[in-house]
Parts: sequence; C-alpha cells; structure tokens
Amino acid sequence: MNRAHFMAQLRDGLSGLHHVDIGDIVTDYERHFADGAADGRTEEEVAAALGDPARLARELRAEVGFKRWEQNRSPGNFLGVMLALLGLATLDLIILLPLLCGLAALFFGLAVACLGCIVGGAFLLVSLLWGGVMGNPGAQALIGLGLISGAVGGGALLLLLMDIIAKLLIRYARLHFRLFDSANASV
Amino acid sequence: MAESLQIQLKKGVLEMCVLALLSRGDNYAYEIASRMAEAVGMGEGTIYPLMRRMQNEGLVSTYLQESDSGPPRKYYKLTKSGALALKAQIGDWIAFEQAVRKILGDAT
Repeated sequence: MNRAHFMAQLRDGLSGLHHVDIGDIVTDYERHFADGAADGRTEEEVAAALGDPARLARELRAEVGFKRWEQNRSPGNFLGVMLALLGLATLDLIILLPLLCGLAALFFGLAVACLGCIVGGAFLLVSLLWGGVMGNPGAQALIGLGLISGAVGGGALLLLLMDIIAKLLIRYARLHFRLFDSANASV
Repeated sequence: MAESLQIQLKKGVLEMCVLALLSRGDNYAYEIASRMAEAVGMGEGTIYPLMRRMQNEGLVSTYLQESDSGPPRKYYKLTKSGALALKAQIGDWIAFEQAVRKILGDAT
C-alpha cells in the first residue's frame, strides 16, 4: 500500500466526522509519511508500519466522538458516541446492540414526554388568555406552570443520566479496545 | 496463549511508556512512534489514537514548533496531571511486577 492508498482508506473510515477533525488527523498522518521519507523509508514501508487504516480510523473516530460529547452534550453527539461504540465493539456487538437500542429508545421516549409536558403546560397557560379550558383559571395556571417546571427538571435529570451512561460506556470502550482488541497481531 | 498475554501486557503499558518518554523531554509523534515500535513492537499508527486520547484526558498538551523541513511540527508535552499519572502508574507497575515475581518464585 502506498501513501495515497493509505490516506484514501483513512479518509474513507473518517467520513462523516467534522471536517476540522478530519483535517487534523489527516495532517498527522501526512506528516508521518513526510518524516518517514526524510528517514529514508519508502511509502510502502511507512504504510506497513502504520497498520490497518480502517482500524485506526475506528479508534480515532471513537476518540473524536468522545471528545465532542465531553465538550457539548447534545443529542447528536450522544448518537456519535453510540455509533463510535458500535464501530469499536466488533466482538461484543451482539451483547451491546440490544442494550444500546433500548437505551436510545428510552431516552427518546423520555425526551418526547418532556417536550409533550412543556407543550401541554404552555397550551394551558396560553389558553387562559381566551378564558381557559378548565373551570378554575387559578388551578389551570398552576397545573400549566407545574407541567413546564416538571418537564424542565425532568429534562435536566435526563441529560445528567445520559452523561453518566455515556461516561460509563466510554470508560468501558477505552478499556475494551486497549486490552481486548487482540484480533490484530500488532499492538 | 503466550503471544496474547504479551500483546495484552504491551497494550497495558503503552500509555505509561509514552508518558515516561515525554517526561524526558517534549517530542513529536513520529519520534515517539519509532521509539515505541522499536521497544515494544507497537504499530506506529496506534500512536495517533493514543495521543488523542491522552490529550482528551489532559495527560499531554500540544504546541507547534517550526522545523527545518516542511510545515511546523506538533510537539507533545507532559502536563502536570500527566506527570502525576506517570508516577502513579510506575508505582502500580513496580508493585505488580514484584507481586508476580514473588508468586513465580521457584518456577523461574
């Protein structure tokens, strides 16, 4: 494999990541080839010493995904962590997949419930302007406010829970691919 | 079996070895990778995911420095928490190594 071939496979494995992250990683490996050439090695020798670009891309993708989540705990980045874990966990996929699917469905359901409560609460409050849908305007205002504050509190709790679970999974994955990914003979 | 034990041992000490190399001076990835490949047979490409993780965990920091050839080079530098981690890992390693040697005792 020569430099161009290696870099193409690496880019292929990284596609979908933020272009800044891809640029960063590609620069690292381009520099490695340049240093290797200065060292008197051929492109083929450097590529062979680097190892399988697809496997490297999986590990890099996981690290980038974890970092994005640690910087910004958005649902999109949570999904990124999940996808990265699936990419890494080639062995435990069968065990992890139902667990991750269940978790994702649970979080999605809870998030929708929170959103529903906020919309419902807002409706109750706004409809007060037109005389309200319940007999007692005071009770309606309280229920509306209660629904919204409950949903905001629940949402915050949900985010906290997602963070804890993501951290656990990230720890597991780091341990996993450091210690147990011995399918490849070279470390 | 022996080979897989060796691989797992090597993987376990990669981070400690890189931290130890950096404790002797800032360095760039190509140089670190060559040293690690020579010493423990690490695949050179592994250095980049490893350095990225160590950077995420705050064990190392990076800075750019002009080089004689080509664009500026990225250097890795041990952080304070990296130095602490190295100290703790060396302690763990020595304790572990001594315990295993004690058990192996007569067998060797």
